[in-house]
Amino acid sequence: MQLFKDFINGIWNENPIFRMVIGICSALAVTTAANNGIAMGMALTFVLTCSSILISLLRNIIPAKVRIPCYIIVVATFTTVVDLFMKAYFPSLYEVMGIFIPLIVVNCIVLARAEAFASKVGPVRATADALGMGLGYTWAITLISMIRELMGAGTLFGYHIMGEGFTPWTIMIMPPGAFIVMGILVGLMNMITRKPVE
Amino acid sequence: MNQYAKMIIVLMIISIASGAVLALSYEVTNPKIQEQARQKLEESVLKVIPGAAKMEVVQKEDMTIYLGLDEQGNKKGIAFKAVGSGFNGAIELMVGYNPSEGKLTGVEILSMSETPGLGAKIKEEAFTNQFNGKSVEDKFIAKEDVQAISGATISSTAVAKAVKTSLDNVMKIYPVGGDF
Repeated sequence: MQLFKDFINGIWNENPIFRMVIGICSALAVTTAANNGIAMGMALTFVLTCSSILISLLRNIIPAKVRIPCYIIVVATFTTVVDLFMKAYFPSLYEVMGIFIPLIVVNCIVLARAEAFASKVGPVRATADALGMGLGYTWAITLISMIRELMGAGTLFGYHIMGEGFTPWTIMIMPPGAFIVMGILVGLMNMITRKPVE
Repeated sequence: MNQYAKMIIVLMIISIASGAVLALSYEVTNPKIQEQARQKLEESVLKVIPGAAKMEVVQKEDMTIYLGLDEQGNKKGIAFKAVGSGFNGAIELMVGYNPSEGKLTGVEILSMSETPGLGAKIKEEAFTNQFNGKSVEDKFIAKEDVQAISGATISSTAVAKAVKTSLDNVMKIYPVGGDF
């Protein structure tokens, strides 16, 4: 039960994008097409899960005073591994994501979960939390990118959805579009989950 | 144990382990990455030289020229890279050129960061195809002999200018009608 709670926490209650609003730099920048959203989400989930497990295992060995450099080394290592493998096996995706894969190192979701959660609990709970956070991030940015792609390019996962007569709203795939879509979604999220005032 | 010694040792062990993991993944992926880059380059060269099936790299006066050969090894044309400064940064192009006729055979955008929906349209064939068959004597000025994309004059001009500049350099090595 505790595990399920840890897992669901990141997906909904403390969704990194919609509730905590952290790690949104990449969420705003790469969400121009739905494929990018999924790929970025998977890359982050991988790094987050691997580093959470490792940090949780090492939590009693790492001295408190040097914990941040240790976390950064662990995160940077996994990020570079993802970066290299993506470059080798998914070059077209790598091209679109550009610097945002290496930037996972400084994505605050990863460090925040390491500091606030993984360093305090065992590896099993840390895994559940990391997977939940990763999936929460993934669905959030996939949703943002689907909306932006549909309105800004008239396609969804690269397939034409809108008919010939549709004029793409170019602004949606430009930076302002990211802020508009995300703002509206955060607002909707708040509306849905608003607790009635006593 | 002295707490400072412990800090140093833990950090050192983590760093060494990280170094080992990185070295290993680099070894695994590097050949593949090199291969991908070469394949991508070859694809773009073959695309801008009609009839070419293989490419050969030659260095001429500090310029890298890609020779396009057909199955029998006959030279079909040359290709070279050109760089222009667009609206948001560098635009990298591959230009195909046939020196014996003095005509361009194709232009392909390798990389660019122009505005999506506007400048990014330079990637589309509707824009790049207009360079096919252009003669070295043409002026390559956007809105005159090069059709500019509406709303993206800077990007269009950058491409036209980059093609012209690099073509002028290549013409010094491969004059029109000469052997290549």
